[in-house]
Amino acid sequence: MNPAPSLRMRGISKTFPGIRALTDVSLDVAGGEVHAIVGENGAGKSTLMKILAGVYQPDEGSIELAGEAVRIADPIDARRRGIGMVYQELNLVPDLSVAENITLGGPPSRFGFVRRKALRERAQEVLDELGARVHPDDLVGSLPVSQQQLVEIAKAYAASPSIIVLDEPTSSLSENEAQALFRVVERMKAAGIAIIYISHRLREVIELADRVTVLRDGRLVESRDAEGITAADMIRLMVGRDITDVFPKREVPIGEVVLKVESLGRGDVFDGIDLEVRAGEIVGLAGIVGAGRTEVARAVFGLDRADRGHITVSGTRVTIRSPRDGVEAGIAYVPEDRKRDGLVPQLTVKDNVALASLGAVSNAGWVRGSAERRVATDRATELGVSPPLIDRRVDTYSGGNQQKVVFAKWLATEPRVLILDEPTRGVDVGAKADIHTIIGELAARGAAILMISSELPEVLAVSDRIYVLHEGRLSAELPRGASEQDVMRAATGEEAA
Amino acid sequence: MSAPTATDRVVKQSLFDRYGTSLAMPVGIVVLLIVGTILSDRFLSISNLTNVLINMSIVGIIVVGMTFVFITRGLADLSVPAMVAVGGLLVLVLDDVIGTWPAALVGLLVATAAGLVNGVLIGYAGLNPVITTLASGTIVLGIAQAFVGGVIVYGQDPVAKDVLTERIFGTVPTIVLIFLLVALMGHLVLARTVFGRWTYAVGGNPHATEASAVPVRRVKAGAFVLTASLSGLAGVLLGISLQAARPGIGTGYEFDAITAVVVGGVSLLGGSGSIPRAMGGLLFVQLLTNIMTLQGVPSEPQGMVKGALIVVAVALDVFLRRRGGRE
Repeated sequence: MNPAPSLRMRGISKTFPGIRALTDVSLDVAGGEVHAIVGENGAGKSTLMKILAGVYQPDEGSIELAGEAVRIADPIDARRRGIGMVYQELNLVPDLSVAENITLGGPPSRFGFVRRKALRERAQEVLDELGARVHPDDLVGSLPVSQQQLVEIAKAYAASPSIIVLDEPTSSLSENEAQALFRVVERMKAAGIAIIYISHRLREVIELADRVTVLRDGRLVESRDAEGITAADMIRLMVGRDITDVFPKREVPIGEVVLKVESLGRGDVFDGIDLEVRAGEIVGLAGIVGAGRTEVARAVFGLDRADRGHITVSGTRVTIRSPRDGVEAGIAYVPEDRKRDGLVPQLTVKDNVALASLGAVSNAGWVRGSAERRVATDRATELGVSPPLIDRRVDTYSGGNQQKVVFAKWLATEPRVLILDEPTRGVDVGAKADIHTIIGELAARGAAILMISSELPEVLAVSDRIYVLHEGRLSAELPRGASEQDVMRAATGEEAA
Repeated sequence: MSAPTATDRVVKQSLFDRYGTSLAMPVGIVVLLIVGTILSDRFLSISNLTNVLINMSIVGIIVVGMTFVFITRGLADLSVPAMVAVGGLLVLVLDDVIGTWPAALVGLLVATAAGLVNGVLIGYAGLNPVITTLASGTIVLGIAQAFVGGVIVYGQDPVAKDVLTERIFGTVPTIVLIFLLVALMGHLVLARTVFGRWTYAVGGNPHATEASAVPVRRVKAGAFVLTASLSGLAGVLLGISLQAARPGIGTGYEFDAITAVVVGGVSLLGGSGSIPRAMGGLLFVQLLTNIMTLQGVPSEPQGMVKGALIVVAVALDVFLRRRGGRE
């Protein structure tokens, strides 16, 4: 007799305004099974898991838990129904002990008073069952990330779930630390829990998973036994898409080296980064989330401080310790998180455009109003901010227009090097095409462009050359015409580095 | 897979949202003028309104600095009473030693130096502004008390007092002109200079501002240095015009300045507001106080009314923000 699987998701679809996140995705996970879900950034993995966790409601489709159809109203409901989530970002209270964190959801109590002894015993029991070597009395804040990760899993396990979702649990762990985590996963599997395992590390998937589901562009590509699957199989399934978006590439003459980065490193975030970007050249910086792309970009611009290595701009060695130094050196940075690092929402388009170049439109500290207006109007018009009303608050504009305002701000500084971090994220198709045209135009004018994008087709189509990062190090430098498979191999560390 | 963001839609502003907040204060002031005129025949006289202006002047100078603090999202400067005391005490202690005007300069500089400490702790070390200024104010006030021994210091220069209180053109005293000049300068700095632009940007979104190569820490510190030196100036003017000062001379000015800024509709969350708005708030509170005084309302209920006014103003700010969907 075949028991009903612990989890059965059928025909799940979810649309956000303008974005079709999931289309008809089904997933079965049995108790005692490790089911890996793989896919590129944006393939729909997290949306699917957020639906399971009750964060989002699906537009279509059904969810069954142990054969019973359910509607998961919210995260508390999910937890009550035995679904345990362990997210990439840890949700622990650093000032409480390991035992207190593990039992946070429902500490043993009598008359509203926590029974400290019982609490500690319960936590010890959970840790023993998982085989996790963590002391229950230690403060969570004093533990290394790897042990905090185990505490987070123990916390989810303490609620006696039937399903546990592990979202990129090893992304910040070393090889040895990951092994300790795998032992815990094996224990949970032996306890009959259904485990959903999301990871970009394909080797782990091969090692741990019983089944593998591949998502691509919000659709289920394949769901199969992990027996005999290879990394190459998974990569092919993950990227094998029709390129429907057309990214026209403008051919421009490539000039001298403008930006040269040598052995740049910062803590244990990234190390030994060597890059060159020439005038008129668009260089892609690829890699999976967490590979250190944004961190490298921030350090080159000065938002973070690199502690090793050199940066040279147009042949001159520069010391970059702050964004001021970066701008002084002729570098501009269009940030990944537009809301946080790109714009001041309460200010007008004009004030945002002029913010990084007020020195050019002022005299002894006094802003020359007419010069400021001219710069703002010119740049806003040039970049097609529509309508070009420079006295309107910037937060009344759409995402695409806001991104153009960020571009306008940086063009006003007349940079030689432009670092673009996810320049088309969260903008609609029309604005995306506009932004690609702008990038091409900037290259044609001789700017050296370093572009980060999680959309591989975009990187491949726009770039003259591609550097690939894997775990904070360069794993490949690929010429124009490289395939998605080439990039993914280097990005997942499958290429012998 | 990114979730939809609020910025993807174009926010339409109604006429009320666009003009309501900027019209409310002038209308409120006109209403107060009408109510005051109806309630008392002494209200709408040149001598009474001049009195209102004189009463506004000292706190008005402080309001200019406090507005900068609010706009940079620096919450509030609670060291104002200490800086006022420093200015007032130093000018009177030193006036017979080095002369009143050099003494005034010393008072101003010492207050500015104390403000620099605030600025470094808040702007550069990132300490909480409320706690920091509370602490620094207590320390500075303690030093001042130890210095003068807690007694009243009397001035020796009635001529200087006359200079400040002399009525130019027969109506407006010099002290009022100094206040108006400070307010005008503050307005120009905020509206027309690079530092002013930075002030708004820092309060609006410090991350994006830092990423735009703006010296965020310096701007934040600057707001506190400015408030301290303007408070010192207010203390100097107060000392000279009263020819007497004690360590407690500045008590309450921080509260009055915060009240004015808040009632003027300058948000505690930073990034918006202006000197004219804060001045509108100040005028409103002063007129209300004047009317209540003319009606013989005792000072205790007056304090309650001012407190209630703050709550209403802050609640209104929160309400308007929610309406605008800007949170």
